Amino acid sequence: MALLQLRGIEKSYELGKTVVTALRGVDLEVEAGEFTVVMGPSGSGKTTLLNIIGCLDRPTGGSYVLDGEAIGDRDFNDLADIRNRKIGFIFQNFNLIPVLSVRENIEFPCVIRGEGGAELNQRVEAIARDVGLTDFLHHKPDELSGGQRQRVAIARALVTGPQLVLADEPTANLDSKTSDQIIDLMLALNRDKGVTFLFSTHDPRVMEHARRVVSIHDGVIVDGTAAAAADVARMHGAGTSFLLPYDAAERR
Amino acid sequence: MRRTLSLLRIALRNVLRNRRRTLITLAALLVGVSVMVSVRGVLNGLQSALVENVVKGQTGALQVHRKGYRQNVLASPLTLDFESEPIAEKARAVPGVQAVAPRIAFGGMLAVGDETIFLFNQAIDPAAELKVCPKRGAAMHDAGKFFGAGGIEQVADAVLVTGELEKALRPAMAKTKDPAALLAPDRDGALSGENATIVGKVDLSGPGDRKLGIVRLDVAQRLLKMEGRVTELAVAVDDLSRLEQTKAALQQALGEGYEVHTWEEIASFVVDIRNMQNALLSLVAAVFMLLMLLGVANTMLMSVLDRTREIGTMMAVGVRRQTIVALFLMEAGFIGALGGSLGGALGWGLSSWLSADGISLRLPTSDVPYVIHPFVPVQYLAAVVAIAATGAVLFALYPAWRASRLRPVEALAGG
Ligand SMILES: Nc1ncnc2c1ncn2[C@@H]1O[C@H](COP(=O)(O)OP(=O)(O)OP(=O)(O)O)[C@@H](O)[C@H]1O
Ligand SMILES: [Mg+2]
Repeated sequence: MALLQLRGIEKSYELGKTVVTALRGVDLEVEAGEFTVVMGPSGSGKTTLLNIIGCLDRPTGGSYVLDGEAIGDRDFNDLADIRNRKIGFIFQNFNLIPVLSVRENIEFPCVIRGEGGAELNQRVEAIARDVGLTDFLHHKPDELSGGQRQRVAIARALVTGPQLVLADEPTANLDSKTSDQIIDLMLALNRDKGVTFLFSTHDPRVMEHARRVVSIHDGVIVDGTAAAAADVARMHGAGTSFLLPYDAAERR
Repeated sequence: MRRTLSLLRIALRNVLRNRRRTLITLAALLVGVSVMVSVRGVLNGLQSALVENVVKGQTGALQVHRKGYRQNVLASPLTLDFESEPIAEKARAVPGVQAVAPRIAFGGMLAVGDETIFLFNQAIDPAAELKVCPKRGAAMHDAGKFFGAGGIEQVADAVLVTGELEKALRPAMAKTKDPAALLAPDRDGALSGENATIVGKVDLSGPGDRKLGIVRLDVAQRLLKMEGRVTELAVAVDDLSRLEQTKAALQQALGEGYEVHTWEEIASFVVDIRNMQNALLSLVAAVFMLLMLLGVANTMLMSVLDRTREIGTMMAVGVRRQTIVALFLMEAGFIGALGGSLGGALGWGLSSWLSADGISLRLPTSDVPYVIHPFVPVQYLAAVVAIAATGAVLFALYPAWRASRLRPVEALAGG
């Protein structure tokens, strides 16, 4: 059975009297071990979809089964536990906890469920080695570069051994060289450790490595190959400046 | 346990993180708590001076009368009297009793030349009285002839009067060379008189009869035909904090025919003043505390707004709602405990500093200057710190709850 099964997922927002529909009937399956890229123009619903898959948000319609568990109307704490055990998150703006060191940030998802001790330390150190942070374990996030911060976020996403890692435009705040390194890192983790990645981006270079591309337009998934190829073509045509949305405010 | 510890560590770091905001909140707590504690200290000093002046300058710690005397105290009935020495003997034998002073209270008149004034008299045995009420001497002026102190020969019929009486009698005293006369109905109701020499003045140490005379006990006993008899024993005790036990033991020793009262029952105005002051200070302290805690609540609310995305991140990696609440409560608890401790320490320091030299002040109800030595009991300090910390936690409930109710998606988007 597929790791993820989405059937007719809908999401609409009520803004006063108008209703904005972000997703209109998304069907999607993802198998364990896949490296899937979600593509689509701005406002097409990528973030909304990833939030629902990550159990951060609830769909207004449709059904969602994660790892054999139906994610129906569960309460906040149940969803928090599911996120903690099964899902890792990598965010566009890193979202590290500033008062915690690199080590503490990485181990945080384990610490909040009561883990600790030598076993956890070893696991954290191994993951830090995998993402190339061994020498930075005692640093604070504000002492790191953007690329290093994203590596911390990747390590934090992996520390619980999740079934699925979600990354919503993880390279959008990074320069192209660092983006390449981060993407290479995620690809290596997928290839060597079998980590399942689902990952949204504007960056066409990712496509060259992606085993699978899902295209989303206006809240629906469009035919895999053709639309994806069109997306890639369009984005290549747009040039590199378009590829690197740079949010200065996030860069403080 | 491990989780709680690491939450505490995160909370502590968050408190230290926005230094300026934490410092402002701490400063508010520091000022509020230290003022509260030092005012409490000054009031403690004032109250204990008040008690001491009353107990050691006026009433004694306990008083013994014949049964029914207190009920009739305004009439100062001479018929409710008793043989002084045997009762004093019994009282001195009671554990906890330090000294005993015999007294007679009686109404009478003082006649100087053609001026006659009604007054209330207290007859005391100077030597015994100073053992029970050592502060009495300080309230008396030119009292050498009364006490025979400082090498001055005692005058047998010496009388001390309040300043008010002295002023009223001064013109008459200037006009006549004759000695004054003390007149009073004796124990049997017949008017009786004795010569009296006004030798000095006495200050009042509390609200009471402004027309008071202090007479030597032997003179009064002659005047009232009460040789060897008194209406009152004033009793000093070893330990004021064991007053009730000593009272009970004394009552036991003296039996049914006598009544024993504490200074609190006799000088109830002191207790009333004390209660009123305490109530007032508690009210002010409560308002202070409320304002400080509202400051803490505001700080916590600002912190929640500032850290919305961080809260979203914590939720995303699986932190439960109650853990978010706990984190913010811990932060508020740290601020409250820290501010309370620092403020308590400063207030204690201030109070001790004031205590070193003492504060002199004059109360409207008293002619005697008070020297106040402020003090703050450790229990009070502990209570203040505990209240500041738990209060801060309580007042952080709303901000913490707000934080925990954030929706992860919106929080991650920055609120
Ligand atoms: N909280 C919200 N309230 C109302 N409308 C929303 C909300 N979040 C998203 N939308 C709308 O839903 C649609 C999809 O948004 P979404 O953020 O998922 O797009 P996206 O593909 O991630 O875009 P981008 O590439 O710019 O990040 C958009 O039209 C957006 O305006
Ligand atoms: Mg998006």
